[in-house]
Amino acid sequence: MAERSFAAEVQQLRTPGGEVFKGEGILAVTKALLQSGVSYVGGYQGAPISHLMDVLSDAEDVLDELGIHFEASASEASAAAMLAASVNYPLRGAVTWKSTVGTNVASDALASVASSGVVGGALVIIGEDYGEGSSIMQERSHAFAMKSQMWLLDPRPNLTSIVDMVEHGFQLSEASNTPVMLELRIRACHVHGSFTTKDNKRPDFTLREAMENPVRDYDRVVLPPSNFLHEVEKIEERWPAAVEFIKANRLNEFLGGQDGPAGIIVQGGLYNTLIRAMQMLGLSDVYGQTDIPIYCMNVTYPLIDQEIIGFCADKKSVLVVEEGQPDYIEQAIHSILRKKGVETKLYGKDVLPMAGEYTAQAIQTGLKRFFSDQEPNGLALTSSSELPSEHARSELGEIVPARPVGFCTGCPERPVFTAMKLVQRNLGKFHVSCDIGCHLFSILPPFNIGNTTMGYGLGWSGASAFNTTSDQRTVSIMGDGGFWHNGLTSGVGNAVFNKNDNVLVIVDNGYSAATGGQDILSSRAENASKSTKNPISKAIEGLGIRWQRTVHTYDIGKMVRVLTEAMTTPSKGPKVIIAEGECMLNEQRRVKPQRNKMIKDGKRVVRRRFGVDSDTCTGDHACIRLSGCPSLTIKDNPDPLREDPVAYVNNDCVGCGVCGEVAHAAILCPSFYRAELIYNPSLWDKLRSGLRNAVIGFLQRRIDARRRDLEILEAYS
Amino acid sequence: MSARNSDRSINIAVIAMGGQGGGVLSKWILDLAQSQGYIAQYTSVPGVAQRTGATIYYIELFPMSLAQKAGREPILALMPVEGNVDIVIASELMEAGRAVVRGFVSKETTLIASDHRDYAIVEKQVMGDGRKPGQPVKEAAGNAAGRFICFDMDSAARNAGSVISSVLFGALAGSKALPFERETFEETIKLTNKAVAANLKGFAAGYETAQQVSPPGEALASSHRKDLPTAGKRVAPLLKEVHETFPPETHFLVTEALKKTLDYHGLDYAREYIEHMRTIIDVDRSCGGERKQWRLSQEMARYLALAMCYQDTFRVADQKTRRNRFTRFREDVKADENQIVNVSEFMHPRYQEICEMMPAPLGRACLNNGMLTRLLSPFFKSGKRVSTTKLRGFLVLYTVARLRWLRKISYKHHEEMSWIQEWMQRVFASAKVDYELACEVAGLQRLIKGYGDTHARGLKNYQRIITAFDNLKSSQQTPAVLAKWKKAALQDEEGVALDKALAG
Repeated sequence: MAERSFAAEVQQLRTPGGEVFKGEGILAVTKALLQSGVSYVGGYQGAPISHLMDVLSDAEDVLDELGIHFEASASEASAAAMLAASVNYPLRGAVTWKSTVGTNVASDALASVASSGVVGGALVIIGEDYGEGSSIMQERSHAFAMKSQMWLLDPRPNLTSIVDMVEHGFQLSEASNTPVMLELRIRACHVHGSFTTKDNKRPDFTLREAMENPVRDYDRVVLPPSNFLHEVEKIEERWPAAVEFIKANRLNEFLGGQDGPAGIIVQGGLYNTLIRAMQMLGLSDVYGQTDIPIYCMNVTYPLIDQEIIGFCADKKSVLVVEEGQPDYIEQAIHSILRKKGVETKLYGKDVLPMAGEYTAQAIQTGLKRFFSDQEPNGLALTSSSELPSEHARSELGEIVPARPVGFCTGCPERPVFTAMKLVQRNLGKFHVSCDIGCHLFSILPPFNIGNTTMGYGLGWSGASAFNTTSDQRTVSIMGDGGFWHNGLTSGVGNAVFNKNDNVLVIVDNGYSAATGGQDILSSRAENASKSTKNPISKAIEGLGIRWQRTVHTYDIGKMVRVLTEAMTTPSKGPKVIIAEGECMLNEQRRVKPQRNKMIKDGKRVVRRRFGVDSDTCTGDHACIRLSGCPSLTIKDNPDPLREDPVAYVNNDCVGCGVCGEVAHAAILCPSFYRAELIYNPSLWDKLRSGLRNAVIGFLQRRIDARRRDLEILEAYS
Repeated sequence: MSARNSDRSINIAVIAMGGQGGGVLSKWILDLAQSQGYIAQYTSVPGVAQRTGATIYYIELFPMSLAQKAGREPILALMPVEGNVDIVIASELMEAGRAVVRGFVSKETTLIASDHRDYAIVEKQVMGDGRKPGQPVKEAAGNAAGRFICFDMDSAARNAGSVISSVLFGALAGSKALPFERETFEETIKLTNKAVAANLKGFAAGYETAQQVSPPGEALASSHRKDLPTAGKRVAPLLKEVHETFPPETHFLVTEALKKTLDYHGLDYAREYIEHMRTIIDVDRSCGGERKQWRLSQEMARYLALAMCYQDTFRVADQKTRRNRFTRFREDVKADENQIVNVSEFMHPRYQEICEMMPAPLGRACLNNGMLTRLLSPFFKSGKRVSTTKLRGFLVLYTVARLRWLRKISYKHHEEMSWIQEWMQRVFASAKVDYELACEVAGLQRLIKGYGDTHARGLKNYQRIITAFDNLKSSQQTPAVLAKWKKAALQDEEGVALDKALAG
């Protein structure tokens, strides 16, 4: 079960034509797919398009009604390869993933599809994870479009434009026999807006028809001599066809003023930010009405030479607003203009930043530099609102603490790293190779564990060089998500084959948790449309892992012992520890409503949670350094003599027990206690508790009475 | 030039952390605006928000009527822009600070922020006190914003049995920064059909407080009382004596220390403390303490009490079985009235702690006996869970607590007292040379706290610092050096910072 349910929202996907659809960007994309008569969809989750996968998954009923197949692909490579269905058959298909990381994984299959060419429209929807909120290396998907010659759409970030571009994308793909990429930036994926709907369309040609009437065409296979023909075809047929379609359908827009000595060329996805920057400089109004001519490229690859020359030829200078690097578009425009002898001066990365997100501030600064270079000089720049001085802001910045992400309250992955910290105390430091997933938070405070992370499922192969005699073994980490994505072969298979002698910890929390809790092969949950409950232990046994242990993560003592054994055993060969514990977010989503219902129904329920005695807490915070649980926090020391704040468990505690286990395993202090709150107690509970309270209360009152003469009741306030 | 229009959107940034309902709040604002004839666009960078990070939700509102008049759709931005945000809503004080740092808060901005703290891991993990100061952030935010509505919305939410998002929504309504009536806000909450009653209660709290809140001023300075606190009859004479003969500057700390030592080991022990303090005040006086607000006496009043009330097994057993402790844990876990709560303590008494309880010669002998240690240590290897709400567990701890008369002959007490003697002598010796240095030496007690390894580490750090300090040339023996080393010792467990500081 995914973290976020779209069950209610997907009902909107049935909206008939001509109505106003309100919702999130990714929901609009799904609706656009249905309006385009798509036959199959697939992909791999990951921000910012995780929700697109969740929507598709929750929309399986709607998809079934229209005869559309949805595949929760094993990886982006599987998803990309699925597009092969459009090579021989007039089937429209769409796949989606996080980019550029997902495109990296997919690129083998993508290159093949792009070489073969397609007869059915093939659309790749990529969530461009760039700039604020991104968690990956900062690169551009643009390069993939160029190298494999796929077209790249970058629509203006409003739902009407996005939906329109999905529909045009399929047509463009078919008109030019080329797969098309649709790029959506993080905020565009999540933007809430509205558009006018069209009717959903059943595919004209079905998957079943294709399966029952197979078509074979050797010209479409990437083998000699067809592969050589494909390259020629790309240049001589597909490219010109694409250019023709883009021009004829006016996919790129000429906005703003008609003439003027200076113009702006902008990627469609940046248009709104550009207008806001111009509005703040007094160059445009909120409706985008401006005297400055703007060429808005909703298609950023291929470039339409004729449109660019037409736009630039009568201008003295043009500013290219292109986010990220290298500056592919700027270089291409230079080349187009110079070849035609157009002397327009081109500005771009000289006045705008080469690297980093193009925020409105960045574009504003670039615009100022650009226009200060124009004749007549100087803009009637509107003054912006009064901000605190740079100095005051940077001083304040010194105080405001960073908030690195960390494990959730009660996360079962936390104790794995607590145990590793404790093992390092005994065995000394060791090299830790990390993977992608929630467990990667171990690299951040308070754990600070992990040396490198090479990519999804690549945790163990990231340490494969250290496969030599040594007194200290390496530890690699892999999540269950990464394991099934490719770690099974690239990590475990690789280690078995190469007789690796090191240790792998597979964090098995039952879901692809970091991407939003989607089910995977080894999930313990029932899933009507997918096969779950295929244990990792069996898979690696089949691969030839002889040394494997399964440990429940909350048992820190055992985790420490097993890790120590794995690190020190004389037994040679790869060693795998499966650290099992259900993702707490998912568990709480399941358990909490059940518990509340039981309490409401008058059934006896025991709820556990933890606490810290501020009297006995030393204020050393070792417990926090070994845990980092968000519900384990600090508060003022109630003792006015002691200066350090004391630890404190807030009411978010889910009672996982890790802090108590840590206190035991690390021999910290006797401050932690576990409280069991009993709801709807039985008669026996009440009797027992009554007796206890009577005796305990009597003794406590006796002590209090003895001390009364020694009390100072009130001091200073 | 074509017709330029001065219409503009209302821009709102909501900054919240995972679990605070920033998404819910944004959706309310969106629904509200749409119901009032506004075009509303909302986006966010959720990423890993649920996993404890902070998220910015960004909303732009635009009157439909203006768009219709202009005959065009407004182009709305997807991210907040420096100096162009009308309303900033921050669910926590430091997040309000971050909004100021990022330039979202200008003189045109209404800043609505909760001033409670949700500590970041970098503040929590520090061995001493790593908390960032809130007051300068509050002041900077107040100076930056055109209007600043700031109060503890976290408490308000908890009192209302709701989540902070509802209080923030109420404060937004109460600020009148949006052109919508209170009822329309409430209608929005009702239409969601989720926890409506609790959310409306939180909303009302936010609304009403927002209308009363003036910019936060300085906290009232704590006033010194002249009259004596109320005291039990056996302790009253001692307290009176303190107030008559000790410098007033020390009264507060000494009174608190009296409370602590009395509670720790009774009247005689408190008298011992007072005797020590008398000596200290004499030394302070002879070093001109009167002109220095009796700083040395103040420092020692605090640290001597803490040193004398070291943590031992008797103390822990006593604290765990007290009546006020039972009241407190019920409050801490938010138990309902009369709800049955069972409590188990996570304790890990080691062989060492058992020996420390014994009379000094016996305890020392047991600890130093290698064979005995090896033989018995395994019995103390695993932690124990003791249920203090059950008779057996309670009676065990209760009995241990009643054995505290053994404390003064225990091995632990012997060790602690000899340390205290040595430390005090050092303070006195330093006072003769340099008053500030003596204050710093007094403050070194802060290093030594807790139990087991934590205590041992503190003691080791103290010894290292003292040894290194003694090895310095007398011209280099400054209070600043000592302060620097103390800070380094509190930086990390492994002693990396201290190593570096001592080497450099």
